[in-house]
Amino acid sequence: MSSVRKGRLFRASKARPLDALLLGGIVLVAVVSAFPLIWMVLSSFKTPAESMQVPPVWIPESVNFQAYGEVASVINAGRSFWNSAVIATTTTLGILITSLMAGYAFAKYRFRGRDLLFAAVIATMFLPPIVTLIPLYRLVGSIGLNASLAGVIVPNLANAFGVFLMRQFIAGVPDDLIDAARVDGASELRIVFTVVAPAVVPAIAALALFAFVYHWNTYLWPLTVLQGQVDSYPIVLSLSRLLSYNRGAMNTGLVMAGATMAVLPPLVMFLLLQRFFVDSIVSSGVKG
Amino acid sequence: MPRLTAYRSWNALPNKENTAGPCVRSGGPQARRSSPQPHLQNKSAMTHSPRTPILVMLAPAVSLVGVFIFLPMLLTIWLSFQAWSTQTGFGSTRFVGLQNYADLLSPLSVGRDFRQAFWNTAFYTALSVIVILPLSVALGLMVYQTRVAGGHVLRTVLFSTYMVPMIAVALVWSKLYSPNEGPLNQIIGWFGFDRQLWLSSPDTALASIVLLNVWQQVGYFTVLVIAGLTQIPTSLYEAARIDGANPVQSFFGVTLPLLRRTLLFSAVIAVINAVQVFEPVALITQGGPANSTNVLTYYIRRVGIERAQGGLGSAMAVTLMLALIVVIVALFAFARRGDDDK
Repeated sequence: MSSVRKGRLFRASKARPLDALLLGGIVLVAVVSAFPLIWMVLSSFKTPAESMQVPPVWIPESVNFQAYGEVASVINAGRSFWNSAVIATTTTLGILITSLMAGYAFAKYRFRGRDLLFAAVIATMFLPPIVTLIPLYRLVGSIGLNASLAGVIVPNLANAFGVFLMRQFIAGVPDDLIDAARVDGASELRIVFTVVAPAVVPAIAALALFAFVYHWNTYLWPLTVLQGQVDSYPIVLSLSRLLSYNRGAMNTGLVMAGATMAVLPPLVMFLLLQRFFVDSIVSSGVKG
Repeated sequence: MPRLTAYRSWNALPNKENTAGPCVRSGGPQARRSSPQPHLQNKSAMTHSPRTPILVMLAPAVSLVGVFIFLPMLLTIWLSFQAWSTQTGFGSTRFVGLQNYADLLSPLSVGRDFRQAFWNTAFYTALSVIVILPLSVALGLMVYQTRVAGGHVLRTVLFSTYMVPMIAVALVWSKLYSPNEGPLNQIIGWFGFDRQLWLSSPDTALASIVLLNVWQQVGYFTVLVIAGLTQIPTSLYEAARIDGANPVQSFFGVTLPLLRRTLLFSAVIAVINAVQVFEPVALITQGGPANSTNVLTYYIRRVGIERAQGGLGSAMAVTLMLALIVVIVALFAFARRGDDDK
């Protein structure tokens, strides 16, 4: 990263006060940006009385895990987490497989209508899900997948963004590598998964991260397709049930504990895989 | 897109190709010395026909996108001319011409609510874009500069918020905004501002949702800007410095003009993301107070799914799609005009 970052935007002047101001600005922005999440975690440890106090209590007197236990009993958190994990991982796997295959075809095959087909697929990236929600809901119902995890998963097993990303990266894989595998008699499918895929690992990691996080977090489609089938709720849907539980009374700690639990998996995944994300940006910078 | 939004940072990868949007240029950087697609000749020399692998590779992605995105999109358009209950099959539609659209323009309550949702969404979208774009440039420069340490950490912190499920964002911010026991009123009180009602007042509720949206998303757009900044050759800054430009001048003379494609792309994504606002409304405000946070994604779902008025909801969805096309075309035209000015 450092080699690309020598922007020298501010190098011309040497004023110390400017440095202090800049550093102060960075700290301020970081604190403001982190504040809601810090407040969420702190609030999850508060007692109900502390949550209701005016002016607000910032730091709870003691670390109190009671709210977490309560979340687990109110929404069957284990089941919700399992549902979220199933939805996010199977969807991510599906997206990786379909995107690798189609990305390979668009990058390395030449056929009539290729650019038109690619443009048509890519155009769907710009379509907000609400535009297709109503018929999709009926369509998924008519193939018998309503109110099930399969109904949440199946329509999302391929998407334009993954195809686009894979095409961009696979285009940079040398043709010689692929030809060598062909000469060895490898089938095209084998080439995709054993020759091309290892060459685009950073892109795969990045796509996996974003697919996982997106499908862990997504709300509108599961809410619509699951039709109140609480047993199949992923954690983000279960959270909304916390809010209505004991509503208006002292449920802040409960809600914050639930939110903290739901936030952790995508956040941890991001912090672990950040490197790939950075790598992807840098390498694309080099490529461009 | 959301499929796009989803993976938002991807857009971050933009070399010139992706910032140019969905247009497709084959070849690109890899079209090097060897003749394009040399393997094809090799392949035709081999025994199997090339058509089979093409179909095999494309079938999963193309059929899924076709069945679950393209087909529903066409159905939405078709349904917008039908009277149809979402609870019944596609066979039980009745053609009504433009009646659904007429209803949306009529003084019926569904028409009034729709128009309010439309303008609320427009306001929400415009305000989000107007706040996010300049902020992302400022934050991008803060991360990208090398004068003082902390850029890396800042990027991580900023981007972390983008990983937080919107539902959790909505829950946390609804507590932050709480007029009595929430910390925001306390904090603005330290600076001498009056207590606000935030989500509880029709005057401030929608802007309050914009604020939480900006908080969640700005890190993503900051990363887009950083990716754009890495594309600007250092030599241009050197040249500007030799010409005697101060940092402010080189920002307006070099940085900003060269970020224009990135910012165009950011604007398009920000618009598409903004029209998807749903969770804070569905969970916290339910469109209120006084319809002030009724937005399209919320209202279309309410009419089309909850009230099962599939035809009417589809007409709303088509209207949204048309409005988006107009806005995106206008953004591209605006950026192109900038190009001509140069």
